[in-house]
Amino acid sequence: MTDFDALLKRSFAEAPEPVDDGFAVKIEHAVARRESALKARNLAQTIGLAAAGAALAYGGYSFYGAFGQELLASAGLEVARAHGALSSAPSLGGAAQNVLHAIGAGLTQILLIAGALAGGAVAYRATQD
Amino acid sequence: MSSRGFHNLAEATEAALIVAAQARNQAAFSELVKRRQGWARALLRRMCNSHAEADDLAQEAFIKAWDKLNDLETPAAFPGWFRRIAVTTFLMAKRRQKAVFEEIDDASPVASEESTPEAAAGAKIDLEKALARLSDAERLCVTLNHGEGLSHAEIVEVTGLPLGTVKSHVLRGTEKLRRLLEPSQ
Repeated sequence: MTDFDALLKRSFAEAPEPVDDGFAVKIEHAVARRESALKARNLAQTIGLAAAGAALAYGGYSFYGAFGQELLASAGLEVARAHGALSSAPSLGGAAQNVLHAIGAGLTQILLIAGALAGGAVAYRATQD
Repeated sequence: MSSRGFHNLAEATEAALIVAAQARNQAAFSELVKRRQGWARALLRRMCNSHAEADDLAQEAFIKAWDKLNDLETPAAFPGWFRRIAVTTFLMAKRRQKAVFEEIDDASPVASEESTPEAAAGAKIDLEKALARLSDAERLCVTLNHGEGLSHAEIVEVTGLPLGTVKSHVLRGTEKLRRLLEPSQ
């Protein structure tokens, strides 16, 4: 190291540092604002999620109110039909045919409902896009 | 703002302040800023040509530090960790201004190094004025090398510049300072 390098290092070391002319307070306020904004964003996210959950629950409840009893009744009827077909079957082939018929009738309703739900979802997605 | 966990913030060690700030204690971070603002602003003022720009970058660096404080593994590593944030903030600002750091100006030849009368006499030099005459890259490398005591390899690590470029900037920057401060030579 030359004398000049040593002088340079000493000059760097001895150079005065800026005094705190409100700089630290400015940072303090900036950090406080940042934290407040972060808290507000987290709160908004929590409220949004809660609202979405409530909407989903309300939608599910409404759906059950509109179609739930009918679905249960249909399912019960199909089970009863299947049971009746089995218990009064003159032959194994006839009983099997009745069971298949009963399941087929139930499946048709289930497929119709699933199709309606899927269609609704597609339509909803299309409106969002 | 609460200073919970401390009887007197001013008497707390820097390590304790850092640990508390990592737990999102804003008062502890504020005290840390008070203690480190002089060093951080001086570092950035040497790298920038303007005090206002340096202070803006120092503010940006402190806010980044607050955001990333949990990435700091040990409180003892704070100075080096913060220096890296400050340098990165400076480099990003210069890149936004389209500054070029990797090109070396060959127009100014490097003279041979020798002792100077001022140096021998232990004279002080007007560092800030002299640094203002260097290019951004030379000022950055000279400040990190002579001011912060980093080796060439450490400057490469902090700035991401190639080793040869760093060596050239330090050599040329130092030589320019020598010539600037020795008008008679």
